[in-house]
Amino acid sequence: MIQLFNVGKIYKNGAPALHDVSLRIPSGDFVYVTGSSGAGKSTLLRLLYCAEKPSRGQILMGERNTTRLKSRNIALLRRDIGFVFQDFKLLNSRTVFENVALPLQVQAASNQEISSRVYQVLQYVGLEYKLQRKPLELSGGEQQRVAIARAMVVNPRLLLADEPTGNLDHDLAVEIMEMFNRINESGTTVLIATHDKEMLQRFPRRTIVLHNGNIVSDSAPPEVTDNEEGL
Amino acid sequence: MERFRYFIQRTLFSMRQSPLLCSATIGTVAIALMLLAFFTLIVLNIQNLTREWSQDIQVIVYLDTVPSDAKLQQWMDEIQQYPDIEKINYISQQQAFDRFHKRLGQNADLLEGLMPEILPAALEISLLEVARSREGTERLIDLLKTNKDFHNFRYGQEWLDRYDAFIFLLRLTGTMAGGFLIFATLFIISNTIKLTIYARRDELEIMGLIGATPMFIKAPFMAEGACQGVIGALLALGGCHVLYYFFLKKGLAALLTTTAAENIHFLPIEYQAGVVVLGLLLGFIGSLLPLRKFVRI
Repeated sequence: MIQLFNVGKIYKNGAPALHDVSLRIPSGDFVYVTGSSGAGKSTLLRLLYCAEKPSRGQILMGERNTTRLKSRNIALLRRDIGFVFQDFKLLNSRTVFENVALPLQVQAASNQEISSRVYQVLQYVGLEYKLQRKPLELSGGEQQRVAIARAMVVNPRLLLADEPTGNLDHDLAVEIMEMFNRINESGTTVLIATHDKEMLQRFPRRTIVLHNGNIVSDSAPPEVTDNEEGL
Repeated sequence: MERFRYFIQRTLFSMRQSPLLCSATIGTVAIALMLLAFFTLIVLNIQNLTREWSQDIQVIVYLDTVPSDAKLQQWMDEIQQYPDIEKINYISQQQAFDRFHKRLGQNADLLEGLMPEILPAALEISLLEVARSREGTERLIDLLKTNKDFHNFRYGQEWLDRYDAFIFLLRLTGTMAGGFLIFATLFIISNTIKLTIYARRDELEIMGLIGATPMFIKAPFMAEGACQGVIGALLALGGCHVLYYFFLKKGLAALLTTTAAENIHFLPIEYQAGVVVLGLLLGFIGSLLPLRKFVRI
């Protein structure tokens, strides 16, 4: 369960990014955070994975108050979170296998465990035959699948994705969204920041709409229309 | 164990992965440490040279009368109790005369018809190296003056003043230039490593996102910095040896006498170990400083 209580964020340059945001995301939920550029979607995600501290308010992840965590505990918290980004954030100097194995190495898993788990998860995203390739030798969709495999390899309780289909064409985007649905069905909470209206309509789920750092709508099932404020 | 293996693999892999950056860091460390090591080599050799000069520092007590054996022994025992005494030589009138005769060389015939008794007997007192200074000499003379039989001393006061001034200048220059070189070395190495870390900032960010602790992220970089520091230090010692052999040993041998060139030595083994440890520390600290800036979770 993720809970935000009156969370506000003002950056050091004085720019306000979020105002008084309160919300609750139960475990196993699938949530979209949407809104126009600068609405605060990425800031919300950054607050959830502790890349930023809120200027005010409290954030609870399970029983942990993330606003009070020290560096080491933030690192431990992130081991329960999978990340998928628009620009994939893969290490281009390492193979697909090494990229996906990274979170397990961080957690000091044995070589045997790493091998079997990485193969399993690459099979899940359909890339088991490309494990010795480097990311730049893959298509955009394949790179995003590697990123998803890396996020899933540790069985995270929460999956955060920031514009995961932003760099992909329509068919690949649908494929990736279907993958997120399957991940959610296995019990992982999924939170996706996106402004891809087509995907919101095609895969309708609870949708939180942000505008200028405020929640303007929190609906399930979604009611996303072309003239909705904030989109 | 898995983690340790991972760190070693990462360190070796990173060095292989970016050979240009790695070579740049090792080259910077090597050049900086070679300058430092060569400077130390020169300072040490000058110190050795002055140590040889300082062996001439001694206090000579001229005796008014030739002492009896018992009296001489008593004096020598008494002086031996004073601090920082290395050795005491009794120079009899005959020995003094023979020395003088020898020093006159071709003009020795001037002494013909003279008796050894024209020269006084003397005690030559040498000090330990730590006390070979104006201060140490004056302290000894103050103690000698407490014996009423001793009142005629010679200790090369002017020479001592110049020697002290030279040693002071050498130490001051050595400390200042050495300190400056160490800071400059640290600055250059830190900046070179900063460049290599900057080139890999994406890796640092991703490691942080997947739950690596700050230490887990930093450890391979620090190990890499330390390895590069050690390799650079070994190259620096090699380069320093080349400079020593061709410029100091061969070059000076051509200019000075062979004996003077033979007295020039390479860095003692403990100093060589010191250069390697310094390389290791510089690489380690040089990595740590920029990492503190880049690794923020």
